[in-house]
Amino acid sequence: MESLADTTWDVIIAGTGLSQSLLALALSRSGKKVLHLDQNPHYGGPDAAFSLEEAHEWVTSVNQHPGRSPFEDAKIFTYQHPPESPRSPPSQNDSEGSERMAGTPDIRPKLAASRAYTLSLSPYFLYTRSALISILISSKVYRQLEFVALGSWWIHTGVPTAESDDLAATNIFHRVPGNREDVFADNHISMKSKRTLMRFLRHISKSEDDNGSDTAEELSAPFGKYLSTKFSVPDDLLHALHSLSLSQGSAQDTLAEYAVPRVQRHLSSIGSMGPGFGGVVSKYGGASEILQVACRACAVGGGAVALAIGVQSLKEIEATAEKEEYPVELELTSGESVRSKFVIGSLWDLPSQSQPLPSARVARSITVVSSSFTSLFPITTEGAPLPASTVLMFPGDTLSHPQSPPVYLQIHSSDTGDCPRQQSVIYGSVALSGPEGHTLLECAVDRLLHAEGPQAMVLWSMRYTQSGRLSNDGSSATIHKHSPHVYSFPPSSLDLTWEDEVIDMVKQAWTKIVGDEVDHDDFMIFDDREGTSDD
Amino acid sequence: MSEPAGANAPKPSSSVKLVLLGEAAVGKSSLVLRFVNDDFQENKEPTIGAAFLTQKCSLPTRTIKFEIWDTAGQERFASLAPMYYRNAQAALVVYDVTKPSSLTKAKHWVAELQRQASPGIVIALVGNKLDLTNDGGDASASAATESESEPVRDAGEEGAAEESEQQDTNSGDARKVSTREASSYADEEGLLFFETSAKTGTNVVDVFTAIANAIPESSLKTGRGGAGTGQTALGGRSAEDSRVNLGDRSAATAKEGCAC
Repeated sequence: MESLADTTWDVIIAGTGLSQSLLALALSRSGKKVLHLDQNPHYGGPDAAFSLEEAHEWVTSVNQHPGRSPFEDAKIFTYQHPPESPRSPPSQNDSEGSERMAGTPDIRPKLAASRAYTLSLSPYFLYTRSALISILISSKVYRQLEFVALGSWWIHTGVPTAESDDLAATNIFHRVPGNREDVFADNHISMKSKRTLMRFLRHISKSEDDNGSDTAEELSAPFGKYLSTKFSVPDDLLHALHSLSLSQGSAQDTLAEYAVPRVQRHLSSIGSMGPGFGGVVSKYGGASEILQVACRACAVGGGAVALAIGVQSLKEIEATAEKEEYPVELELTSGESVRSKFVIGSLWDLPSQSQPLPSARVARSITVVSSSFTSLFPITTEGAPLPASTVLMFPGDTLSHPQSPPVYLQIHSSDTGDCPRQQSVIYGSVALSGPEGHTLLECAVDRLLHAEGPQAMVLWSMRYTQSGRLSNDGSSATIHKHSPHVYSFPPSSLDLTWEDEVIDMVKQAWTKIVGDEVDHDDFMIFDDREGTSDD
Repeated sequence: MSEPAGANAPKPSSSVKLVLLGEAAVGKSSLVLRFVNDDFQENKEPTIGAAFLTQKCSLPTRTIKFEIWDTAGQERFASLAPMYYRNAQAALVVYDVTKPSSLTKAKHWVAELQRQASPGIVIALVGNKLDLTNDGGDASASAATESESEPVRDAGEEGAAEESEQQDTNSGDARKVSTREASSYADEEGLLFFETSAKTGTNVVDVFTAIANAIPESSLKTGRGGAGTGQTALGGRSAEDSRVNLGDRSAATAKEGCAC
């Protein structure tokens, strides 16, 4: 191993979460000497993705070092299904239940090898019109990534929606119409409702051009009230439109000013990159893969990347008579002492700095299931790619009470590379911390599996509580200045989709570091490196 | 040489992700540079600047397009990302025949690959810098293009300390790792084995051709990424169907841009 202390650094980036890694990417061609550290032995911090074994190590670490990460209360459950019996056709015999649920089938699926899984702590997807996608393209790092399409949105109806002998998850879900054709084709919606819905959709696509057709008063109302008073949208469609906003607040807590632009974003994304989909998921662990590519770009540009080395302490050298070029001195956990012009990291990566604390906590779960939920992944538009991920929303009243926040489940099929074939990974999130949140998540997953049928079993699951920011909790995504040389990123977003405000924040940090040496319009715009081509 | 098979009739073409591993300064990037550009730089800086390079290798029945991932120096602080190994169908583990410690390090990387990489990965163990030994690469020295305008300094690729060490030993046989030792290790572990000189070009193309030949037909697909995943499609599903190419976005119009 070489010594890090031999060099003075222009910037030390602490933590390899996506924000820090995007900053590293932005600096990769700036000629700056970049040292990129992570106290963890793995990439990604709160955006990491793990194999089963790594997940076990992570859980141990989270529980051993409370306060060292935005995570707490992490737990893994493994399910001991009875040993595999000779393969025989599935029987309807429900008498021999597993410890988890009744209806254990005769074919007992098993977990695959640890490395067959890539389980993401922050499995957000990207809308196709996201500024992050533009950056991945303009910086050329997209060549090292693979993306799969996001499919339909589904609303849990609470009761079976169809009298059917065939078990399928779709029996308890409605597909949310994503465009005009969908609305017409939907046979769950009455003609009257269709008309009001069309009026709203027309309005929302218009106001994208001329903002201002909604008054401030209208927008400050809860989304539900806005829909019912302004468009007479019936209650039964409220949940569907709420789900398109991905608001993690309850219907009462979600304001029109929050939801309207997000529903707009959803609708305008569909078809913008190709027919039939509006979002994409990065293969093999979502954000984790993107940030690894970004870290690699920084290394390719000459940056040093070191894992399992954190910042122990940090002090700024007093401004003396002559100007100190490298005013920040850091003690690293490796025992080395390094000097830098700038230091930037997250709350969790820098030693006790006073700064805004996380404003929200959510319960999350990751569940590996022995089913591919084929019915939830239809191709709904001709020429569309086969969806690899889908979003299920359980309105608060279907699991608990109307004031309760909704539960979102994102199912990743094996096409996301997160799990082996014939299995799926269900990522659950609800804006309720502690046991209350985890009970709702478990309940949602149980209902889904029950509807899908006895062959859908939980093979492995993990739950945890995460602190961070929610886009509707009033916190802002700005970097925090501790001194002219030390900055921190706010806690990361807990939203289900990538929020572009993070890019502005990264650009803000980048601008501080590069100063006026470069044209700020060149942010993240790079040529292909030698030897790389599409050919 | 493995020049692109432009004039040949079209053959099935497959992409193969190949990762480079080995101690610093053993000549990983130089091997690739020789293979891709048929070029050699005496005083090459430690690797920065190359994310991945591509080169085609034409076999009698098919064309293999290598996507060669360099470490970008990430191995210095044990920080190679999991995505570096993921779905790699081939690996080049390089050591320096004049430096026994580099073979030890190579063995470490082989173990790491066996632990981390796809089960079917083809690994080639390569002892580089054969030109510094008495067996030295002379035979094919004529094939080398040694007329660079760069000032020719005899140097290791990285690090001044090594530079002087090499100068001392350059007059005689600097070999410190016997062919037999390395090749018997390679046999035990089921690795391809070559000794090469990136400087003279000896055996360099042979390494890549051997790797191309060793990749099982079953793990070849058009495009990268399919190799690590199971091949059985379930209900007509295949990974290819759901892939979205971001590079196509500029071509895609926003005609379907809004719902109504």
